[in-house]
This record gives sequence, structure tokens and C-alpha cells, in this order.
Amino acid sequence: MATGRSLICLRAVRPSILLLSNVGRSMPWNIKRHNSSEPLADWEQQLARPSWSVQSLLPSDTQTADAPTISVKQLHHLLRLSALPLPASAEEEAKMLDTLSSQLHFVREIQEVDTKGVEPLRAIRDETSAAEKEQEINLDTLKDALAKEDVIGKHHKRIRRRTDKIDAKDVEDWEVLGYAERKSGKYFVVDSGKS
Amino acid sequence: MFSRPSSSLIRGTAQGRYVCQACLRDVRTRRQLVANAQSLRLQSRALQTTTATEEVTPYRKQLKDEAKRQKLEGGSKPAKKKSKAKDSRLEKWELTVGIEIHAELNTARKLFSSAATASSDAPNSHVALFDVAFPGSQPHFQRETLLPALRAAIALNCTVQPKSSFDRKHYFYQDQPNGYQITQYYEPFAKDGHITLFDHDGIAPEDGKSITIGIKQIQMEQDTAKTIQAPPSTHLLDFNRVSHPLIEIITLPHIHHPSTAAACVRKIQTILKTIDAVTAGMELGGLRADVNVSVRERHNTTGTGPENSYYGVTGLGQRTEIKNLSSFKAVEDAIVAERDRQIDVLEGGGIIEGETRGWTLGSKETRKLRGKEGEIDYRYMPDPDLGPVIIGEDLVQALRNTLPKLPDDIASKLVSSAEYGLTMKDAKTMVALDDGERLDYYLDVVQLLHKDLEDDKALQGSVGRVAGNWVLHDLGGLFTTSEEVWSDMKVTSQSLASIISQLLRRHITGRTAKLLLATIFHGDQRTVRQIIEEENMTLRPMSREDYLAAANTLLSDNPDVVQAIKEKGQHGKIMFLVGQMVRRSEEGTMEAKTAESILKELLDIPNGE
Repeated sequence: MATGRSLICLRAVRPSILLLSNVGRSMPWNIKRHNSSEPLADWEQQLARPSWSVQSLLPSDTQTADAPTISVKQLHHLLRLSALPLPASAEEEAKMLDTLSSQLHFVREIQEVDTKGVEPLRAIRDETSAAEKEQEINLDTLKDALAKEDVIGKHHKRIRRRTDKIDAKDVEDWEVLGYAERKSGKYFVVDSGKS
Repeated sequence: MFSRPSSSLIRGTAQGRYVCQACLRDVRTRRQLVANAQSLRLQSRALQTTTATEEVTPYRKQLKDEAKRQKLEGGSKPAKKKSKAKDSRLEKWELTVGIEIHAELNTARKLFSSAATASSDAPNSHVALFDVAFPGSQPHFQRETLLPALRAAIALNCTVQPKSSFDRKHYFYQDQPNGYQITQYYEPFAKDGHITLFDHDGIAPEDGKSITIGIKQIQMEQDTAKTIQAPPSTHLLDFNRVSHPLIEIITLPHIHHPSTAAACVRKIQTILKTIDAVTAGMELGGLRADVNVSVRERHNTTGTGPENSYYGVTGLGQRTEIKNLSSFKAVEDAIVAERDRQIDVLEGGGIIEGETRGWTLGSKETRKLRGKEGEIDYRYMPDPDLGPVIIGEDLVQALRNTLPKLPDDIASKLVSSAEYGLTMKDAKTMVALDDGERLDYYLDVVQLLHKDLEDDKALQGSVGRVAGNWVLHDLGGLFTTSEEVWSDMKVTSQSLASIISQLLRRHITGRTAKLLLATIFHGDQRTVRQIIEEENMTLRPMSREDYLAAANTLLSDNPDVVQAIKEKGQHGKIMFLVGQMVRRSEEGTMEAKTAESILKELLDIPNGE
């Protein structure tokens, strides 16, 4: 919404409030939010050019000089961890180091935000207590699985899960090896290259 | 029918006296029964593939000869020196071991897909889209997999966390289609448990009567694919096993001796099998162990850094990890080898690198798999595709109430209660055999016997022990020799109870009882009473004169044995003579105990020896 965007522009200088403004859904949409005495008509002028750019989170030329250097060894280690190919030439390597450096600067800027007491978000999920109650796994949830077990033994009673054939056709019935580049009979084939 | 011993009947016929056909038939069938029983013993010997030219020496003799030879060659001094040197090293260095056990859970479906878990079917036949990381597929947590996992947590005395979550452990390998394994690193579903090991579990003598090992946590995770090597460089992959639910049990570094470590793994396997949480043991690959080994100086802990602490246990040396140990013996041997290697390095002035090592059965030292440079950074992160696992308290309580009795409790009941009175060794064997079926059978036999012998209080006391011997050794032996799987229908508990009851009441001899057992085992459909009656197996106790006569004949036939007993004091040979006496006698006449006391009387040996 336009209102939302202008709020971000105005509050770019104070990142802590940046967070709050996005969460401030409790405010009715038509309340005028501005911190200056400028008349409302000037909003056209205000919106004509951007007052903030993500460039502010990227390093300027002076800042790149101060940034801690990433060694070539570290770069190679990171690439190997992600199974990415190592750089083919010296220029490519220099470019990678440069990009990595500015990305790290970006992250450092974001880390300036005070997140004390805020749990990191894992996924957008219903985290209310009502939802938790719904998701709870209790006796009722597992009653079908418990019904598939027998108690055997005359004196020495013990549990045995019944091992009847399971019908999993709905998930298993597809051509597993259909997309395999290399196969041998019913197996996938991998060549490790080492002999 | 005259109830005369068969040999006298045959002798009678030879001497021209008339013997009725019924008696002769009787003799023939009885001889046949004995021959059947004996031929079984002979058959099992026939399985040995020795040619006629080779001498078959008894195994015990072989071991004795070997020991004698070594003594002559090596001399006893070097052996003593070596063990003394080893002990002094262990005086200085203390070993610390932590174990991580991965156990395949007994579930119908996989962990994150509803495909079936049968991994012995045709390869790649139980694979869902997510199991091969098909682009766009999502994991779906199968809640039924919590059943065996929760039971395991309860049996190992852990606190079940009401809320736990899944994390991704990133590494690339051909058997891991997603490029990460879904595990529970930050928030496992069970924490802070413990397991107590006793001296009869096989712990090191230095650990005393019992030791309690703490369990840090139990977490659920996925299994990987099965790889079959096709040399020189190809691998065949079967994804049936991918995403099969595993639990990883992580112990605290409270173990200080290799045999205790092996005992710990063994006990955890037994407990998991008893509660039906796992189906296959270590021998079948259903349970794998990784161990972390470090050593430190006992009396000088200032050398080790404060960084080397683990969940409250401080001052540890640098540890190395030995992966993929697939048997209890391997666990023990690998720990010993690694401990010795680490002590060698440290005493030589070197430092231990934090490496991952491997072990193959039969090797003398662990080998390096991955050094510190190759150490993998797993970059754990919470899995965004999966929600938290919220476990209700009512479920945990219900499972705790219906948990099957643990092997420790059953074994101690079998030992301490007067009704059973087994030795701890026998009790543990009984619990472990045949998935609990042997124990069930034994309990039934004991119950029947107690009822049968209600009138005789004196005999009641020995019922449990005698029945235990018969179920484990005599009946068990028959199954082993004929290489059959245990079944309680071969010799019903009712039949065995009858045999033992007749034996305890001294209606039949021990030898007859064994014969009866073998007869029924091999398919005789008659009841025990019928066989005893028809085959005339009832004990006809010999008079004292007959005993003395038989004993004197035997002693005069074996003068050298008599000499050995009387002069050299080799009283063990008395049992040999008893055996000979019983074998020479008629079926169902001689009792071994009486024979023994008669022989001792004749040889002037007091009955107590």
C-alpha cells in the first residue's frame, strides 16, 4: 500500500522503528502518520523520487577498504561445502571475493537491528496456543497405530506390531527409475570415479 | 507281559527258552527307541568333515595341548612383563568413551513419507517422491513413528520434551538425495536419561557392582540409502531404506573401560528389542554404534584445556570418533586399539588430532578416514518445511503404563523369587532367547509343575531350577542339534511338565527322562504316561546288592582309573565311572545318584567330595 511504502521511506534513518512500523497492524489505516508539518499536498513531490535505496546497505568505496578480508582458502572451503565449482580464473575469483565481501557488509548492517528477545522465524506458521492444541499428538491421534499392535504371550506379556502388508500405492506407484541417467536393473548407478 | 529286562530275554532266546512274540516285539521297539536317540547324536557328529586318516582329538584336549606348548616355548615371564607394563600405562592414563547408537525403528511407514518400510523387498520398490528428493516434493511427518521412539525414551528413563523440532544437517553424499539429513539437533524429543549396568551385564571389574551411564538425548532422524559396491568404481543404490526412522541415542562420557562400553551397547539393544522398538539387532545391521574415545592423565588434569568439556564432564582430552562399528566385539576391540594408539602418541610427545577413524574386524589399529581439514561443517538449521512435534502428556503416561517389563526386572524376578530360583546367567539367557517365547514356555511349565506337585512341598523348592535346566539345556539342545527354530508345539509345556514331574517323583531315571524327551521331540504322539507304560520305563530300583555287584565289576575292569582316583586323588574321574555304570545297566533301573554314592563308598571317599 502506498501509505506503507511512504512510512518506510520516512523512517529509513531509524532502522529500529522500521520493524515496528511493519508490525503496527493495530493502527487503523486512515490515521495520518507523518512527523513533519509539511502539508499533505506535498506527498506527490515526496513520492517523485526515492528517499532510500538498498544501496545504503551496501559498502561504499571507502568501506570496502576497511572490511576484513576473506582469504582464498576460506572461499574455496565455502564453495566445497556447497558443492559449487571452484573459480575458473583469477578474475572470476577476484569477482567472487568482491561479491562475497559486499554481501557480508549487507548482513552486518542488518545485524545492527536489536533483536533481543525475538525468536528467529523458522517458517510462517500458526503459532497460537489454539493451533498448538490442534497439532498435539496424543492418544487419540495414535489410536490407529496402537490398534495395529497385539499383546502376545501367556505369562510373559509383550507387544508385537502386526506386520501385515501395507498399501502405500498412493505414494509408491510411480516410475522411480524413470528419470535416472544411469541405471542397472532396479538400481541407480553412481560412478565415484575412484578405482 | 513279563516285565523283564530286554537283555535277559534275548539271552533266554539264545539259550533256547521260549519267549513270547509280544515280549520280543517290546524289546525290539525299545532298542529301536534307544537307537534313534543315539543315531541323532551320531548324525550330528557325521556333520564334521574329517577323513578317516585324521585323528579327531576332543576340543578340550586340543586347548590343553596348545596351552602346554605355549608354556614350553614362550616361558611365563614375558607374558607377565607385558601385562605389567600395560597395567602401569593404564594407571597413568584414564580412558573416556562416549557412545552414539543409531537404531532402526520398528514402524510400518517411513518417517517423512507414507511409503512402507519393508527394506527387504525388490530394490527401489518402496520409494515416495520425497525419498529421492524429487524437486517440489515436501516431507510429511508420519506421527505413528513416534510410538516406538517414545517407548525407547521411556525405557531409558528420559524426559520427553513436549515440544521438539527438526533440523537439517547438510552434507553431500550419494546415499543422501536431499543433500541434507533431517535430524533433531537443537531440540531433540527426549533428554537427560540414564541406563544402569550391573556386573552380570559384563562390565569391567573395575566398575564394581553397577555403573549408571547418563544419556544426553535421544533424537529422531532419517536413514540413508543402501549402497552396494560394484567394483572398481561404481555403486548401486537402493532407496528403499531412505527416510526409514532412526533414533540416535547419545550417551554422556561416563564410560571408562572398553568392556563396559560393549556391555552398554548390548544392554541398550536388549532393552530396545524387548519393547518392540527395533526388530533387527547389530548382527543384521539394524543397530550401529559410533564411539568417541579420548584419554587423559589421571593425576594431572591441568594439561587438558577447558574447551574440552562435554555437557558438564570437564577436563577431557582431545577425542577421536570411530564410526560404523557393527558388532559388540568390534566396539570393544576398536576402543582398546584406539586407546593404545592415543597413549602411544601422547607418550611420544605428540598431540591427538580430532579425527574420524574407521575399524575393520581383525585389524590391530584404527585407520584415519577424515582429518581435521576434511572436517565437515554441517551448517545445522531448523527445517522450515516441518512444524514442531508436540507430544501430549496423556500419550506419554499411557505408554509408560503399558510398557513391557524390562529384561532387568524379569531376570531379577526369576533369580530372587523362590518360585523360580534361576541363576542370573540362566535367567538372562531365558529372557533373551527366541523373542521371549522361551521364557513364556518356561513360565507355563513351572506353573503346571507347581500345580501337579501341590501335594509334595519338599519338591516344590527345586521345581523352578530343574525346569530351567530342562527348558534351556535339554530341550534347547535338541533344537540346536536338529538345527530347527524354536517352537512350543514340538514338546508341549504339558508334556515337559509331565516328564519333569515323573522324574522328580522318582518314577523314572534321569536317563529315561532324556530319552522320553527325545522321543516326543521326534514326533511320538502318545502322552508321556502312555509311553512310560507301554515302553516299560518306570524305575525298577535296584537292590543294594545289585548296585554293589555292578560297582565291583566295574572297578575290577578299570584298575588304572581306580589307581588314579585313590592314589593321585583325581576325584573327577568318579563321574566317568558313574557314567560307565549307568551305561552298562538296564534302562530304567539305575539311578546316577545312588550309583555315585555306592562307588564313593567302595573307594573309601567321603560323600562330601
